Amino acid sequence: MAIDEETSKRFLREMLRIREFEDEIKTRFQEGEIPGFVHLDYGHEGTHVGMSQAMRDDDWLAVGGARLVGQYVAKGVPLGEIMAELYGKSGGSNKGYGGQMHVSDVGRKLYGHAATIGSGQNPAVGLAFAEEMKGTDNVAVTTIGDGGTSRGSFHTALVFASYWDLPVVFVIENNQWAISTPSSALSPDNLSDYGIPHKIPNESIDGSNVETVYETVSEAIERARNGEGPSVIESRVARLGPHFEGDKQTYRDETEFEEERELKDPLKNYRKQLLDDGVVTEQDIDEMIEAIRAEVQEAIEFARESPEPEPETAYENVYRTPLYGQGE
Amino acid sequence: MTREITYIEAIAEALGEELERDDDVVLFGEDVEEFGGNFGETAGLHEKYGGDRVRNTPLSEIGIAGMALGAAVGGIRPVAELQFADFAATAGDEVFNQIPKQPYVSGGRLSAPLTIFAPSGAGIGAGAQHSQSVHSWIGNVPGWVVVTATTPYDAKGLLKSSIRDDNPVFFLPHKMLSEMKGEVPEEEYTLPLGESVVEQEGEDVTVVATQVMFHRAKEAAADLDLDVELINPRTFAPLDTDTIAESVEKTGHLVVVDETVERYGTQGYIANEIVENNFFSLDGPPKTIGVKDVPIPVSPALEQEVLPSVKRIRAGIKSVF
Ligand SMILES: Cc1ncc(C[n+]2csc(CCOP(=O)(O)OP(=O)(O)O)c2C)c(N)n1
Repeated sequence: MAIDEETSKRFLREMLRIREFEDEIKTRFQEGEIPGFVHLDYGHEGTHVGMSQAMRDDDWLAVGGARLVGQYVAKGVPLGEIMAELYGKSGGSNKGYGGQMHVSDVGRKLYGHAATIGSGQNPAVGLAFAEEMKGTDNVAVTTIGDGGTSRGSFHTALVFASYWDLPVVFVIENNQWAISTPSSALSPDNLSDYGIPHKIPNESIDGSNVETVYETVSEAIERARNGEGPSVIESRVARLGPHFEGDKQTYRDETEFEEERELKDPLKNYRKQLLDDGVVTEQDIDEMIEAIRAEVQEAIEFARESPEPEPETAYENVYRTPLYGQGE
Repeated sequence: MTREITYIEAIAEALGEELERDDDVVLFGEDVEEFGGNFGETAGLHEKYGGDRVRNTPLSEIGIAGMALGAAVGGIRPVAELQFADFAATAGDEVFNQIPKQPYVSGGRLSAPLTIFAPSGAGIGAGAQHSQSVHSWIGNVPGWVVVTATTPYDAKGLLKSSIRDDNPVFFLPHKMLSEMKGEVPEEEYTLPLGESVVEQEGEDVTVVATQVMFHRAKEAAADLDLDVELINPRTFAPLDTDTIAESVEKTGHLVVVDETVERYGTQGYIANEIVENNFFSLDGPPKTIGVKDVPIPVSPALEQEVLPSVKRIRAGIKSVF
């Protein structure tokens, strides 16, 4: 699959958007502006962008795993709405009810993350089922981390997807760590092997290469659209940051970590590739970054200026009322 | 026009009519196709509506409940069947963390108009993992509409409304009532969710009960020299306390009988609502009666021991005077 220059530039820009946005989130979190905890995507930018660029706007993304924000960005949620949600403000995508882990946007076909890791995959199968019942050729892509694949719910989702041959693409973002537990201790050679007993097409790829991810996920989506059922893809990446901001990572070997940062940074590598190939110049990149920084600053301002939710709105949205037949 | 049909027939009619009425309604669960469901509730539906709309699933409640959530968010109206209400626990994360919370955490952006159909209750000697009444578990998590059915009339009207409601609804028929007959209109009807009904008027004491306990309470009341007002809450969450409060205002006495365990059961919640908000309507402390705080045993002799009996309910009603 040849990737044209426009597409390459878009890949680079989207990866830069995630990186710049998350750098800012990190600072805002350190400054105490963002409540709760944040999980950032360093090292996952290529897999998030490659995957989402392979999708159509009408395809569902059911976010799983623990690297979230980059996926919301890649699915096209405006940065301001994400940032305000992280701030818990009323201008957030979910009006402050969801926070970092639960950004959802039905209009953009983004299904909010299940904060209990591994519980997003069965809903993804259900979303694919709904699309099939409605007669569309839309698919559902769902992500999970290496850690999440140990849960029964993940395996059940494979059973259900293959039982009904549903258009679902399972992307396992194996960043080698579930907090401090290494995925190397899990038995399969590749986590995509979990597709084998279900006879689901499966593949393990270098997820730090955005083009590889784009190509592999595109093929899986193509199969799903053509009625050829689910796929399982292991996208191998390196977690180039802590599990969550504040994690001291005492369990990690420092030399290896430094090496990974040197070799497995998807953004750094892609940037170099495009410069080497003459697709972009340093100046092009500077211009991209400048525009993105302006967008990020706007997002921060939007979040800061967005009002706190009115406390009494805490009681809204529990039920859609009136209940059926009430008050008739 | 009404006729007498069984509770299970009423349920099968409700499912059939809703599948007929709305193409978005889809029914799935274990053994819902030719087998027709454990209690016969889906008999004939697969034949009539086909394999797209009425589907067997593999044996996994996680899959059934989790898929129902996605399917509902994706714009269809699944009725997802669990063979026994106890199995809500085998889909614990879906039932407690995902389904009732996704609409809320999305700030109202997502809706999940699904129905979980799950036969509950004790009495058939099915043992500790097939006999529980789970409406206190489920009602404990805001976001679920929890509906029970006490008569064939309720079963049909409330199930149809549950399927049409835009919230996730946990619909709990009682397996001991399957063969019970009752009057059900020939004509199409639905019953409102979230509204309690006064099933029998009385002046002396308000008795709140559903499912099998309702029928036992009615029997107990018939033998008493008291004018008992019987209330069927129909929906446990959100609970219509106004109807109960109004009744207590009139009678001054409250007895709540339910098949959840007494410890942290629904009885205590209902009584508390009245004590806290309508204390001065009461002429004495309310009485709560539930399943004794043990798992449900198999032996019929033991099982009946731990369930509220007509005798215990009668004594309970007398005790508030
Ligand atoms: C069901 C469940 N168990 C445990 C946790 C706590 N937890 C949050 S993230 C995480 C590790 C996840 O690792 P992985 O799935 O590999 O994703 P990654 O963080 O590597 O992206 C754990 C244990 C959780 N959120 N949900």
